Amino acid sequence: MTSKKVSIRRLPTNVPGLDAILGGGLPEYSFNLIVGAPGSGKTTLAHQLMFALATSDRPALFFTVLGEPPLKMLRYQQQFSFFDPRKVNKSLRYVNLSDDVSAGNFDQVLARITQEVEASSPGVVFVDSFRSVMLEARQQPHGGAGMQQFIQKLGILLNGWQATTFLIGEYASGDNPDPVFTVADGLISLEQSVFRNSMVRRIQILKMRGHATQPGLHTFRISNAGIEIFPAAQVRDDSGATDSPAPSHIATPRLTMGVPGLDNMLGGGLPSGYSILVAGPSGSGKTILATAFLAEGVRVGEPGIIVAFEQTPSQSRTRTIDDMVRAGQIGLINTRSLDLSIDEVVQRLIDMIHQKKATRVVIDSLSGFELAVAPSFREDFRESLFRMVAVLAGLGVTVMMTSELEDRYTDLRFSPYGSAFLTDAIIVERYIEIESRLKRVIAVVKVRGSAHSDELRQFEITDDGIVIGKPVRDYEGLLGGHPAQMPVLGKVA
Amino acid sequence: MSTTNTNAPREAIQTLLAVRVGGVNGASVLAQATIDRWRDLTSQLEPVIGTGGVKVLFGRAVRQASANYPWLAVPVEDGSEAALLVTLMGRFAGEERATVEKAIATVLLNFVELLATLIGESLTDRLLGPAWAPATPASEREIP
Repeated sequence: MTSKKVSIRRLPTNVPGLDAILGGGLPEYSFNLIVGAPGSGKTTLAHQLMFALATSDRPALFFTVLGEPPLKMLRYQQQFSFFDPRKVNKSLRYVNLSDDVSAGNFDQVLARITQEVEASSPGVVFVDSFRSVMLEARQQPHGGAGMQQFIQKLGILLNGWQATTFLIGEYASGDNPDPVFTVADGLISLEQSVFRNSMVRRIQILKMRGHATQPGLHTFRISNAGIEIFPAAQVRDDSGATDSPAPSHIATPRLTMGVPGLDNMLGGGLPSGYSILVAGPSGSGKTILATAFLAEGVRVGEPGIIVAFEQTPSQSRTRTIDDMVRAGQIGLINTRSLDLSIDEVVQRLIDMIHQKKATRVVIDSLSGFELAVAPSFREDFRESLFRMVAVLAGLGVTVMMTSELEDRYTDLRFSPYGSAFLTDAIIVERYIEIESRLKRVIAVVKVRGSAHSDELRQFEITDDGIVIGKPVRDYEGLLGGHPAQMPVLGKVA
Repeated sequence: MSTTNTNAPREAIQTLLAVRVGGVNGASVLAQATIDRWRDLTSQLEPVIGTGGVKVLFGRAVRQASANYPWLAVPVEDGSEAALLVTLMGRFAGEERATVEKAIATVLLNFVELLATLIGESLTDRLLGPAWAPATPASEREIP
């Protein structure tokens, strides 16, 4: 006889980002826990899942127990756009168990659940909050043992009725070894942390039997649309397998920068798919260079996106950027929120890249970005940047990041984030003093795998943009802040 | 209530109040019909919001109505809603038929409106819809 292994179907949850961290959806007929502190979004996640999963063929039962009063729950959950009252008592039904639980007779509770399950043969079952059941159980004589048996029986019942089940509760890891943890196939943990004035929500799949999930904490937001998860950007391993063709460095197409002369300095333009850091002090022309890069993309049919972190966007953004955004030629992600996670920005960026079919991305600036992320993420800013650049590189887009650089003449640094090594190319802008005038110079510091100019070139910012001038040949010590005119060869006696 | 079912509760209450059988004012039949209608409501609601939730709303609906019908002001702690209505039955007997009808309609409508204020009109319609389905008028039933 041919043996056929069972294949576990995965149910799409319709919660943005959740399927990705679950490794492709929820295993059908699984017995799951949604755990977290009060206010962490457990009931909201449960409702979002229920309204997505419940259909006439796969009806849902939502058992409410002690805890949040059902009237309040129904009132508040209706504020989310996923709540569709037309589904209530049609493809999903609420059942209040508080009277049965208060009586403390778990056989009675189980009988009631059994009765409801048999009556509607649900495909999805929720119990909110299961923690209330457990607390009630502990107050009963022999409550612990009774509870363990109750959970075992409940698990068997719901598995037998082929219901994908979610128990919702305020469990903490310290609650182990609650028997419910052993029975559960999946464990979804929600947490929220407040640091200074920012609140960050995170979700983690602690356990999911049968398939690999995306490990680690993933940030999420709760908006009117419900929960949106931003899976932590993952850097794909390059195994060096020989089945994929080796990248051809020679054939890599190059992008024009939109600044006359700069392409030559870069050795013929910026290689496609590269990330480039434009570092310079305030006012040196970084945003203008980035604008030229995007405008050039528009001109040659390479759509772009700018991620801006400015406090007063309409004033500080150049008119060219505004015009291009208004004309729909480039996408704009502008945020002044101070509780962002980098993964959230990456997710928005990825969505917009797909939507606009963008090939050029500008992040202006890393300094603003660092301010915009929640303080708790700043420790990992550099690591997150690394992952972001890797993810964007994986998408094949060319990324320009600007970085505010304190114009110190004692050392030559390109970024306070140590991000210089993350990028494939670096352009640096500096101020220099020549004949009591403040002049700007630009230089290409690196272009990975490519020859490039090593000249320091003066440049000016005009109404038409950046105009690169001649190399500064007659001076030395410019980067040290003490330029000295070099003796002219041939005139020496 | 939503546009589709705006009149459903009022029509159901009108049907209920159309009971004209038994005694001079039909107080006992009217009270029984009221209890039946109330049970229709609670059978839809209690599984969802629990007996506690229903009791609180009912108590408030009665309290609001008692501003105009002081004889309604029976403490809600007296027992179940059905028991309370049985108590009310006794009160009906001492009142004019028209007054009783208005009082019943006020309590039921208050209850529905309170529920709608909390969970919205569409969900209230959704939950109570089956309770408003035309019931067999008590006048057509066999009255012992």
